[in-house]
Amino acid sequence: MPSFTDNVARWNRRLHYYVGLYLLALVWLFSLTGLLLNHQWGFADFWPGRNVTTFERSFEPLRGARELERAADLLRQLDISGEIGATTTRAPAEFEVQVTRPGTTFQIEADLVRLQASVQRTSVNHWGIFRTLHTFSGMPRAAAASERDWLPTKIWSVLMDVVSLGLIFLVLSSLYMWWALRTKRVAGFVALALGIVSCGFFVVGLRVLL
Amino acid sequence: MAANVLYRWTRDLHLYLGLFLSPFVLMFAVSTMLLNHGWKPNAVTVRRGVFKNLVVPADFERLQGADRIRAARQILVQLGVSGEIDFIRVLPKENRILIPVIKPGEEATVTLNLQTRDATVDVDEKGFGEALVYLHKWPGPHNVNVRGNWGYMRPWRWLADATVYLILFVSASGVYLWLFLPAERRLGIGLTAAGCLSCVGMVYALVHG
Repeated sequence: MPSFTDNVARWNRRLHYYVGLYLLALVWLFSLTGLLLNHQWGFADFWPGRNVTTFERSFEPLRGARELERAADLLRQLDISGEIGATTTRAPAEFEVQVTRPGTTFQIEADLVRLQASVQRTSVNHWGIFRTLHTFSGMPRAAAASERDWLPTKIWSVLMDVVSLGLIFLVLSSLYMWWALRTKRVAGFVALALGIVSCGFFVVGLRVLL
Repeated sequence: MAANVLYRWTRDLHLYLGLFLSPFVLMFAVSTMLLNHGWKPNAVTVRRGVFKNLVVPADFERLQGADRIRAARQILVQLGVSGEIDFIRVLPKENRILIPVIKPGEEATVTLNLQTRDATVDVDEKGFGEALVYLHKWPGPHNVNVRGNWGYMRPWRWLADATVYLILFVSASGVYLWLFLPAERRLGIGLTAAGCLSCVGMVYALVHG
C-alpha cells in the first residue's frame, strides 16, 4: 500500500504532465507573441500594410441609461462585434465609440439626430493579429473604471489567468520533484540559485542597490 | 544506446534549465495576472528635491535621439538620479523639459526649467508589483530607439528573450519525455488536443467575433 507521501509524489508528477500538456499551445502562443513584441522584425511589420475602409449606416434611436449600454445597442444595430474600448459624447448629438478585437479596430461616430453612423474599420494582417493576442485583455491600465463587455474577451482573460496559474503550478510541482531527487540536489540548487539571483537583480536589486 | 543518452541528457537539461527558469516564469505569470486585472500600483512619493544652477547642455531642447539622451544623462548625473530614461518631453510654451526615469518599482520625474536652469525631482516608490509589470513589458514595442539607455537594463532584453527560448525548449523536451510514458499517452494526447482546441477556438472567436 503506497504511503501518503508516495501518493502526493505520484499525483504531483502526473499533474505536472497533464497541466504542461494542456498549456502547451497557449504557452507557445504567448512566448512567440512576446518575442514579436520585443523585436521590430521587418517581416512582422504590419502597420504600413493596414487596410482602412469607411462606411455609413443608419440606426434606430439608441436604448440604455449608461454610455456603455447605448454603445452596445449601437454595435448590435451595426452588426459589429468586439470589445468597447472607449465611448465619448462630444456634443449632445455626437456619440463616438471605439471597438477593438485582435486585428480589427472600429472607430464609430454616430450622429444621434440624423441617426447616421460613420464607421472607420482598420484591419491588419496576420502578424498584427498575432502580436495583439499577447496584449489583448480588454483591461487597459489607464482606464480605472473599465470593464470587459464582450464575451470572447471575458473568456480570453480567464484563459490568461489559467495559463498564469498553470505555470505557477508547473514551477512549484517541478521544485517538489527535484527535491525528491537526492543526487540532483546540489546541481539543481546551483541552477535555481543562478535563476533567483539573475531575476532578483532586476526585480529588486536595481532599485535597492543602484 | 544513443536513444538512452539522448533521453538522459534531455531529462537533465529539462530539470536544470527548468530550475534556472522558474523565477522568471513566476515573475511573468504573476505580472500577467496583475496586467490582466488592470492592477495599479499605490505610488508613494518618497523624495522630493529642488536643484539650482544646473549645467544644461547647449540646445538641449533641439537635440534628437541618442544626443538628447546623452544630454539628459548629463543633467541626471548632477541630480544624482539613475535609471532608464522612459522618454523626454519638451514643453516649449513652459520652457521646461520633463524626464521620467525608471528603475523597476521606482520612478523619478525630473522637471527641468530651461530658463532658470532649476530642476525638481519627485521620486515615487511603486513597489514590487510594479517592478514585475515593468519588467514584463520591457523593452516592448514603444520608444524603441531610446530603450536600453541605462546599461543595467540592457541585459534584461537578453534575459527576456532567453526566457522565451528556454520555455520553448523546456516545453518541447517535456513532450519528448512524456512520449516515454506509454501509460500516460492517451490522456496526454487528449489534454494536448484540448489545449490546442482552447487556443485555436479562442483565437478564432476573438478574431472573427
